[in-house]
Amino acid sequence: MRADPIALGGWQRRERTLTIVVVGIFALVILRLFVLQVLEGSRYRELSEENRIRVEVLTAPRGEIRDRKGRLLADCVPSFTVTLDPFDKAYSRAPGRLDSTLAALGPILGTDPAVLRDKIQRERKMSFLPVRLKRNVDIKSVAFVSEHRDRLPGVQVESEPLRRYPLGLMASHLLGYVGEISDKELADPTYSDYLSGDLMGRMGIERRYEKLLRGQDGKRFLEVNALGRKGDFLGEKHPVLPKRGTNLTLTIDLDVQRAAEDAFEQGARGAVVAIDPRNGEVLALVSKPNYDPNEFSTGITQERWNEMSGGGNYPLFNRAIQAAYPPGSTLKPFTALAGLESGAITVGTYLAQACTGEYRFGSRLFGCWKHDGHGRLAVHDAIVRSCDVYFYQLGLRIGLDRLADFMSKLDLSGKTGIDLPQERRGLFPDQAWYDHHFGAGRWSRGIILNLAIGQGEVNLTPVKLAQITALVANGGTLWRPRLIRSIGEGLPGSSVPDDSLRRELAISDRSLSVVRAAMASVVSDPQGTGGQARVDSVTVAGKTGTAQNTHGKDHALFICFAPVEAPRIAMAVLVENAGHGSTAAAPIARKVLQAFFHPAPPESAAVVARR
Amino acid sequence: MISARFSADIDRPLLLATLLLTVIGIAFVFSATSMPSASAEHGLYLKQIAYLVIALVAGGLIAAVPYRIYEGKTSYLLYAIGLVLLVLTIFIGHVGLGAQRWLGWGPIKIQPSEMAKVATVILLASQLANRKKDWTQIKNLAGPVLTAAVPCLLVLKQPDLGTSIAFVAMLFTMLYWAGLPFLYLFFMITPIANVALSFFTPAWLVFLGLLAVILYRSRIRLLPLLIVVSVNLVVGIATPQIWNHLQPYQKQRISTFLDPGADAYGAGYQIIQSKIAIGSGEVFGKGFLHGTQKALAFLPEQHTDFIYSVVGEETGFMGAGIVAALYLLLILRGIKVANRARNRFGGLLAIGMTSIFLYHVLVNIWMTVGLAPVTGLPLPLLSYGGSSLVASFLQVGLIQNVAMRWREY
Repeated sequence: MRADPIALGGWQRRERTLTIVVVGIFALVILRLFVLQVLEGSRYRELSEENRIRVEVLTAPRGEIRDRKGRLLADCVPSFTVTLDPFDKAYSRAPGRLDSTLAALGPILGTDPAVLRDKIQRERKMSFLPVRLKRNVDIKSVAFVSEHRDRLPGVQVESEPLRRYPLGLMASHLLGYVGEISDKELADPTYSDYLSGDLMGRMGIERRYEKLLRGQDGKRFLEVNALGRKGDFLGEKHPVLPKRGTNLTLTIDLDVQRAAEDAFEQGARGAVVAIDPRNGEVLALVSKPNYDPNEFSTGITQERWNEMSGGGNYPLFNRAIQAAYPPGSTLKPFTALAGLESGAITVGTYLAQACTGEYRFGSRLFGCWKHDGHGRLAVHDAIVRSCDVYFYQLGLRIGLDRLADFMSKLDLSGKTGIDLPQERRGLFPDQAWYDHHFGAGRWSRGIILNLAIGQGEVNLTPVKLAQITALVANGGTLWRPRLIRSIGEGLPGSSVPDDSLRRELAISDRSLSVVRAAMASVVSDPQGTGGQARVDSVTVAGKTGTAQNTHGKDHALFICFAPVEAPRIAMAVLVENAGHGSTAAAPIARKVLQAFFHPAPPESAAVVARR
Repeated sequence: MISARFSADIDRPLLLATLLLTVIGIAFVFSATSMPSASAEHGLYLKQIAYLVIALVAGGLIAAVPYRIYEGKTSYLLYAIGLVLLVLTIFIGHVGLGAQRWLGWGPIKIQPSEMAKVATVILLASQLANRKKDWTQIKNLAGPVLTAAVPCLLVLKQPDLGTSIAFVAMLFTMLYWAGLPFLYLFFMITPIANVALSFFTPAWLVFLGLLAVILYRSRIRLLPLLIVVSVNLVVGIATPQIWNHLQPYQKQRISTFLDPGADAYGAGYQIIQSKIAIGSGEVFGKGFLHGTQKALAFLPEQHTDFIYSVVGEETGFMGAGIVAALYLLLILRGIKVANRARNRFGGLLAIGMTSIFLYHVLVNIWMTVGLAPVTGLPLPLLSYGGSSLVASFLQVGLIQNVAMRWREY
């Protein structure tokens, strides 16, 4: 039988073992204290009296962004940031000292000392890091800080990468910008790896691909004395080197993008989205007016922000994806598709009533844009000449249910899923929508007349319009538009086709070819409304639109694709309050197509040729 | 009540060490909060004195009643109260330093995990005191393991990793004292070591080799052997697989959880500042109230978790050494009391209470001298805080209770 361990003294052996363990633990403490206090004591005494150990964050440069041909859209350049260490001994000894430092710095940095003080109070609660007072300071401020070091305890000039957009206004909505993380985001666990004062992507590619672009900041421990820095702290903490962010190559073609941006008149508001119908790659995405993202990299004032985010024109607003407009007559090819697909009409069907410039429905008169009428038309000519009266009747023939059904196949009420944040949904209403918003039975069947010509409650974003135009061009494939061609050091041009981005819709080739032929005639036929979009040696198919809206003059729209035989580009153009699509939007499309099919030779080559 | 016969057997060195440490604690809470920049905290030492009065009464009362009444049904009742308080903390607790650790009624706030530790030790002692069970048998361990696991997981949920590990430390110390062979305890720890090492294949292979040798030499029976081997293999192989399949945000959560300072440039900085403070004290210190590092940046914690670095800075190697020696004395006397007790429950009670001290002192002091990560555990008796002080006096009171009645079977 086992010895009873409970008997008096039975714990003896365990007591001895435990005592040895405990004495060992404390011996280690004493040994450690001896090393710290006796052997290395004088070194630590010196550190505690004169110097200070500080953490310096080594900010990782963000990844570069380039266009599909490798041309630079965003990179990083070195810049100077003035920081202040609120834990400097001078401030813990005499808290009032901070005010005199800030009073001296304020005028040089051009910032109110009270604002700086608030920032310091806020950030010192969150970390032990120095507070960034101002980024991208000029050389004069750097000189001032160095000269007056004795009067500015804890103030340092640090080198940090600054986000730069070398082309300024170009592609601003697409790229987005960077700004300091907000207090609200800091409190969110999603951003737990950010520190107060860190920059993060806002809008556009910068926001959407923040995780890739950001990289990983490093840090090192520095020993700082009254005269500035003394060098790395030779403790056991090794510096952690920053990892630069991942480079991105976009699907954007800078030539096409530039042509689209330049095609707008000064002060115009609108958007262009151009897509490769074969794979959904976005070739250009423009919103006007645009802004200069460089302004944000160093932090902007509240007044400037208010001006940018409002100011009547809302330059920060990305009209290509965040705004939905009535598509007007650009919807007619799709109404025609719905008619052909649902069997409401065939290619040869003439509708009951000839166009006399107006159409009576119940007690209401619906006008055609051409007041003297188009006469009797079949679907081809109705598209070419954009006859409203034909489409009123077609709408009635198809009926709301079948029309809404077809449009929902195109996902008109959904998002395209483009890889940009804050995309807005479009809307093509159905019966349930009207019942819900107007009340069951409280709306007239007449709404179908307006919907058929792209007016009324239907609303689409320019990117959605471009997506469905590409669908007509490529024979029925709905591609999710995308902006990334390659991630990291992958060669431009090595784009990987991704089948998860495509959705084949069951639309017959017969119907599609009828609509494609009609859209080609819109541009080529002398009777067509899109003659302004003609480009040398390329067949273009298009459709104009002029959308009435409640905010003043009509919006001008144009959708197109080219070449008709094997389309490589599909596009939607919108100009706010500019009048007719044929005169205000089609010329913009022409300039974009021109740049795409007949790019100007590179400047250097032209110079050589002239010699 | 405490008659002359009992009070003669009070463990005087233990009592002396406790009172000295408490007085030193109040003095350094005063010092750590005396800087002009800490004006909001100037009165804290007075509050600590008030807590001491409560703690003395509580400790005295728990020492006076013969400890045998805590055995059996009472222990389950105390334990249940402790668990209820922990559960309440999760639902209606106050958030402090990123975790829900406090429970409050108006101005009074308590940290239930401190009380739960004491209650858990009492129940464990009561369970392990049962002589009818052979505590060298693995199958008999389910009860005590469950007893420690429930509060451990509830505290982990707050989250307070440091305190939850205290329950594991208590359980292991008490199992050892109850007679479980050291080897078994070793095997219970191996899967944990396995998780830690599995990311570094060479170290993992060395570990497995060692384990195999120890298993072979130990000659344990086939079934336990198979269990130990298979658990270790499964854990070791599965851990990196699971880790690799986690989402980045999940990984982030786990690493922040294991090391709350991982994200903060703060934690590494705190350790460096603590080491500078202690080191700069040299042999004799800068003198009471003359520390300079404390004015810097441990921020809210220089009078709580980092009080030992203030002691080290102001009193040097001498002072820090004396404080360490007092803790050593306290713990060794606790072990002594546990050993002398004739009653099995009494011995286990004393060793359990001592193990709480041992774990906290070890983790806290090792942290301040840079031997352990930042965990946020207070230093018993020295750190500012009422719950911790009252709990410490309850622990000492129970050890004294056993000391006074060591003759009883």
